[in-house]
Amino acid sequence: MPEVEFQGKKFNVDEDGFIDDYTNWSEEWVQFVKQEEGISELNDEHKKVIDVLREYYEKNGIAPMVRVLSKVTGFKLKHIYELFPSGPGKGACKMAGLPKPTGCV
Amino acid sequence: MAEPALKKENKRIFDEGLDGGTKKLTPERIEMVIRDVLDNETGARLKVYVDTCVHCGLCSEACHFYLSNDNDPSFSPAGKVKQTLWEMLKKRGKVSPEFIYRASEIASTECNLCRRCSMYCPFGIDIAYLMLVVRRICHKLGVVPQYIQSTANSHAATLNQMWVKEDEWIDSLMWQEEEAQDEIPSLRIPLEKEGADVIYSVIGPEPKFRAQLIYQAAVIMNEAGIDWTMPATPGWDNSDMCMYTGDNEMMGRLKKAHFETAMRLKAKRIVMGECGHAYRSVYDTGNRWLTWKTPPIPVIHAIEFYYELFKEGKIKITEKFDSPVTLHDPCNIVRGRGLHEMARYVVNETCEKFIEMVPNREHNFCCSAGGGVINCGPPFKTKRVEGNKVKAEQLFAAKAKGAKTVIAPCHNCHGGLEDIIHHYGLDMELKFLGDIIYECMEKNG
Repeated sequence: MPEVEFQGKKFNVDEDGFIDDYTNWSEEWVQFVKQEEGISELNDEHKKVIDVLREYYEKNGIAPMVRVLSKVTGFKLKHIYELFPSGPGKGACKMAGLPKPTGCV
Repeated sequence: MAEPALKKENKRIFDEGLDGGTKKLTPERIEMVIRDVLDNETGARLKVYVDTCVHCGLCSEACHFYLSNDNDPSFSPAGKVKQTLWEMLKKRGKVSPEFIYRASEIASTECNLCRRCSMYCPFGIDIAYLMLVVRRICHKLGVVPQYIQSTANSHAATLNQMWVKEDEWIDSLMWQEEEAQDEIPSLRIPLEKEGADVIYSVIGPEPKFRAQLIYQAAVIMNEAGIDWTMPATPGWDNSDMCMYTGDNEMMGRLKKAHFETAMRLKAKRIVMGECGHAYRSVYDTGNRWLTWKTPPIPVIHAIEFYYELFKEGKIKITEKFDSPVTLHDPCNIVRGRGLHEMARYVVNETCEKFIEMVPNREHNFCCSAGGGVINCGPPFKTKRVEGNKVKAEQLFAAKAKGAKTVIAPCHNCHGGLEDIIHHYGLDMELKFLGDIIYECMEKNG
């Protein structure tokens, strides 16, 4: 598994750039993915999405439907894509430290 | 011939599904399963293909994996058969667990079943079929890459590929109806309507993450005045990764649920979204497994549907898409079904400037994601992307002629091309045909 280093922290990632284990997630990882995804500035809305994803994943062992993400955060679908241009399944899950979702994605 | 040597450049990749399955194998079980599949599930077709191949190697130059790996013969289509099925046949199933590991890896992650090679074979041997026989054997031996097996498990448990529950499906549709009503107040996504002209079916990732595609389809249906519906029950997902893992029984169950859902609602025909493999599963593979030569209810792909809408003047374009576009021909709907001219008609109706990538139509290079390869997940991503340098070169050439946007009317192609665009620094935009139609169409509500 390739290793990446960012702000003095080391992370193991898979070939799609997702972290090896969500318990290894940290603030540095969020900053690293922000840079990887070309997101110019992180705001409270990004954080809200990440919190919801992590909480849901801990409870259910899977990423939520984007519908659930929208319902809990109150953000419309378009806005979720504005926050994470590569989408909830890629950018947002990656930043939240979830594994790459399975399926045609 | 000895068992295949592991070359340095294509050494075995660790995968939990392959590894865990291989550990449970015994030589007796391998022999029994291989003989069972070869004796009871194959027949003249396999025999003719195996007996006819003259080992000429003309298939090699057709394969993107071969071309992108410096013409390494182990990546040639015949080479892949040699390392897998020929060896199994020759030894009558007496191969090692490690052999099965590599055979599964080759068949599942080094071949996209795109059938480009069949066009260059002087005898038209369907090498994709041969690789599917290998996958079938590996499925029965429980040696399948973890990510795609997980997707197949979701199919088995939920009848969709992304673990979407029934209430979540309905909720997602109602949510997108509500969001679309902000734009078009009269818009509806009719659920469970009996006797509609069209039942619209999609793939799991659409409700799960890409719900905007359902929104856009609803806007197109609404504007074109189509009498349509979507089902509120399982059977809405037309995708089928079980077709690609070799789980034919489950493939049949999925297709049956899909067709029966449409029949329960007495729909006149099924219109599918822009997905390639799902199309293969309903008009070619899954229907035949269920003993139907053609689907029991008419099914058309989104491209055919859009073509009709424009031909009949049901959709009007206010202003054509002005960024120059090129079109990627997906294997399952072009080599598999010949929809390339219809796709071009729709592109010309909606886009200002269309630049062909070369080669094109049925000669187009594969995206390297299809055939379930992208679904095998992160362990095989680098091999998949680096194994398709020729696609990057093909896109660079289209870009040099001015193309800025790539249209790919297939979900798997989308995923694969996105990775190629990113990896090779192509800096091109990627769209579905539906994205472009939605963006440029007249919306009167």
